Amino acid sequence: MHFGHAAWMRQQGKWRELMVVSFKRLAKRLACATALAGLAMTTMAAAADIKIGIVAPMTGQLASEGQDMENAVKMAIDAVNAKGGVNGDKIITTTADDACDPQQAVTAGSKLVSEGVTAIVGGYCSGAVLPTLKIYGDAGIPFVIIGANSTKLVAANQGNAFLANSTGDMQATTAVELFKKNGYKKIAVVDEGDAYSSDLAKLTAEAFKGEGGEIAAKETTTAGEQDYSAVVTKIKASGADAVFWTAYHAGGALLTKQLRQAGFQGGIVLGDGNNSPEYLEIAGSAGEGVYLLSPPTVDLLSGAADFKAKYKETYGRDAGAYAALSYDVGDLIADAITRAKSADQKAIIEALKASDLKGLAGEIKFTDKNTLQTSNFRPVIAKGGKWVAVE
Amino acid sequence: MTLDLLIQQLVNGLIVGSFYALIALGYSMVFGVIKLLNFAHGDIYMNGAFVGLIVFSFVGIWVGNGWLGVVCALLVSMLVVGLLGVVIERFAYRPMRNAPRLSILITALGASMVLNGTALALTGGRHYAFNTDLGFAGIDISTVHITYTQMVLVAASIALMAGMQAFVSRTMYGKAMRAVSIDMGASRLMGIDVDRVIALTFFMGSALAAGGGVMAGAYYGSVHFFMGFIMGLKAFTAAVIGGIGSVPGAMLGGLLLGLLEAFGSSLPFVGSEWRDVFVFGTLILFLVFKPTGLLGRSVVERV
Repeated sequence: MHFGHAAWMRQQGKWRELMVVSFKRLAKRLACATALAGLAMTTMAAAADIKIGIVAPMTGQLASEGQDMENAVKMAIDAVNAKGGVNGDKIITTTADDACDPQQAVTAGSKLVSEGVTAIVGGYCSGAVLPTLKIYGDAGIPFVIIGANSTKLVAANQGNAFLANSTGDMQATTAVELFKKNGYKKIAVVDEGDAYSSDLAKLTAEAFKGEGGEIAAKETTTAGEQDYSAVVTKIKASGADAVFWTAYHAGGALLTKQLRQAGFQGGIVLGDGNNSPEYLEIAGSAGEGVYLLSPPTVDLLSGAADFKAKYKETYGRDAGAYAALSYDVGDLIADAITRAKSADQKAIIEALKASDLKGLAGEIKFTDKNTLQTSNFRPVIAKGGKWVAVE
Repeated sequence: MTLDLLIQQLVNGLIVGSFYALIALGYSMVFGVIKLLNFAHGDIYMNGAFVGLIVFSFVGIWVGNGWLGVVCALLVSMLVVGLLGVVIERFAYRPMRNAPRLSILITALGASMVLNGTALALTGGRHYAFNTDLGFAGIDISTVHITYTQMVLVAASIALMAGMQAFVSRTMYGKAMRAVSIDMGASRLMGIDVDRVIALTFFMGSALAAGGGVMAGAYYGSVHFFMGFIMGLKAFTAAVIGGIGSVPGAMLGGLLLGLLEAFGSSLPFVGSEWRDVFVFGTLILFLVFKPTGLLGRSVVERV
């Protein structure tokens, strides 16, 4: 789930990344995995340590994100160990590479299960996480998913898995909160007619009406078209206080420009599909002051400055988009084991269900479906050609 | 619908319609002369926008991002892409000129894919910003806001189209074009260099499309490898509505299509998602009841 990619990729569960793995890389990866496994066996494990598995893409196109996840989880665990560990035991970690590939993920998952880990955290690509849910479920291992957020994961969950990232549809909640905070009473919702953007438009419209708001206009544009003037005219005439664009950055930039060109003074709010530097480039000065609903990427979290600095100091590189959330999940699992008062996996799952953690990326509390109670999408605003956090 | 809204939609329709007309004109000219539906025309429009962006970024260093830069980009792009049209005709269409109509139609699809795929490979599918300092200043008539840029764009496309019409109806080359479009064999017997006339037709049609591409790029502020697809479709529709093969018909068809779209978005009782149903429904009605379009003459099929 990287910064700058179109949102449909996230929505469709990042299936697409799976296709890029070459045989050469596969061979390299297998060699690495074998070597690591051997190393792990020889060096690990004083008997009382609690072992946590980290599963993430350590090779392939998304290796950088996977490295971030591993680093950040370890950072959280190290902090816990430095304070005396959990229930008097130290936590150790072992990492398995899923390469964001379903087959590789199954191998990695089986490896972690056979190593006898107490719990597993990680998972970036929904496509790679999906087939492992059964493995961890059958083994009864608590599994906290960090990045992957397809709604398909919710359906396939056997009760032991927890989604620490908001599913895409929770964006509507954040949108409505922002509308209310900014005092918008009448909203024009514009989508591009595809499944993702029209779903988000519909959910947001329903949620806003439920809160007493008014939907002044609900418009649809054609993807690939350049002229939105007719829709812009309708929006202006509808008397909307603000426009919510639910589709992607190319159309978003054009719409923003044409709204401002037509003299529309109201607010403009964009869905997470516009989280791209291209949006700001194309919209130019018309993009100033536009709101974007962003996933909790580390650059946009106001409270993560210390974390960012410490991460850079520890690992010699900048914290990537999902580092903060990964850190939170490291904390979360240590917290759950502490509250379970044992390494018993059933007790840890029960403890996870009762989680109430205020992390860097937001609050982590689970619903009865083990998804986040509150959306972790957050509004950011375009200032001086950059996205900055809304204070 | 209030009067202001009506006027605003009228203005919107005229602006987008003048782009359609410009592209439809090239479509129609090529069809008129060699009876080929040049599916690559939309991609030529896209290429024009990219060439324009490159020139604009380059001359922008000296002349800034204002009107002068846009005019330079427009002229250079029209020349370069006009020549590209000639090259495409020479290598893709001329060898097929006596082949069955279906073969040349498929060649045109192939040419479209080559242009589109090349642009995709070179740009990596990115959307490029075409940022000008043209600004949003303009005049206000009650709540209707018309920017100076919009006025200049409409005037420029009308001037280009009027120039083209004058060329076709007043000059010897124009006369030769019309002769070739009526009967290619007889024209050759009369001593007209048919190959040259056809090359000229492609040059002019492609140059117009490139001009449209640069203006659209500068006006909407973004350029993308896929931008020609919908535009090609719309231009084809406009050409059919106006009467394919007719120069004034293409202009009329383009403007009419723009207006249909603007008002199609504001249909009573239904949302803007019905616009394309309305527009392309109209196209089907035209094809059924008046296949020659508004100003077209019936074409006698020569086998």
